[in-house]
Amino acid sequence: MSSDDHDHKHCLEMFEKLSEYIDGELDHATCAEIQKHAEDCVACFSCLETLKRTVALCKNVKEQPIPSNLSAKLKEIIANIPKTDSP
Amino acid sequence: MTSPKNQKQNKIVKDEDFDLIQSINSGQDERFHDLVERYEQKLYNFSLRMCRDHRDAEDMVQDTFLNVFRYLKDFRYETKFKNWLYKVAASTCIKKRRKSKFAPEKELSLDEFRPNDDTETPEQVPEWALMPLDKLLNAELAGAINRAILTIPKKYRMVIVLRDIEEFSTAETAQILNLSPANVKVRLHRARLFLRDKLKGYFENEQ
Repeated sequence: MSSDDHDHKHCLEMFEKLSEYIDGELDHATCAEIQKHAEDCVACFSCLETLKRTVALCKNVKEQPIPSNLSAKLKEIIANIPKTDSP
Repeated sequence: MTSPKNQKQNKIVKDEDFDLIQSINSGQDERFHDLVERYEQKLYNFSLRMCRDHRDAEDMVQDTFLNVFRYLKDFRYETKFKNWLYKVAASTCIKKRRKSKFAPEKELSLDEFRPNDDTETPEQVPEWALMPLDKLLNAELAGAINRAILTIPKKYRMVIVLRDIEEFSTAETAQILNLSPANVKVRLHRARLFLRDKLKGYFENEQ
């Protein structure tokens, strides 16, 4: 981040917006600015790519199956709920 | 022409659960089982990520469905049923936490994650961020991710789970958690940075 040819303040400004950038929630001009900055700054590019990968891993982690005893227990609980009339 | 008054009326959201909810609310209580079957696995996984053990997660699923059964008649179709269900689940989870004697949750500050000017500049992007996802994601890593998610302070965890795992939008997450969209974005960014640092640690230890 201490590269001579760019401003660290700019890195920090980008850093705060990276999630919104990943989520496509920024305006076109800000997106273009971040893209340009990431092309020139290895640290910010790395920060962006590791954050993107973190999001992708979350989205792709598989669900665990529900324990069969819980499924049966839910059925039993619901069957035993006293029926109420509509008010 | 529609009068402005009518335009202001809340729009009914007819999602994939609409007919089922209608039949339950019109007296076919037995169809509640279909609703449970439809969502039990999703809700169990959401609960697992909110609670620290399986038993608490199971209790949370049960309590959520009991609350849904109790309040389903009040559901006004103003949102997708799934969003309302998660709102009930999130509120069940928050109430459970209030009843327990946990210490106050840690606040995450952006300063903790902000890169320093004097930090050594990485020469390249780490391999784990570049290699194909299907080559990277195995059962061991999935376990590490799940454990890492559980270490995120709860108010941030709820947001990242709803946004990045359950894939609700920012607006939907804000509605589910009664937060402003801006607040959702702030919490999400911090939660992702927290998780990213945990994953970084995991991959560095692996080498």
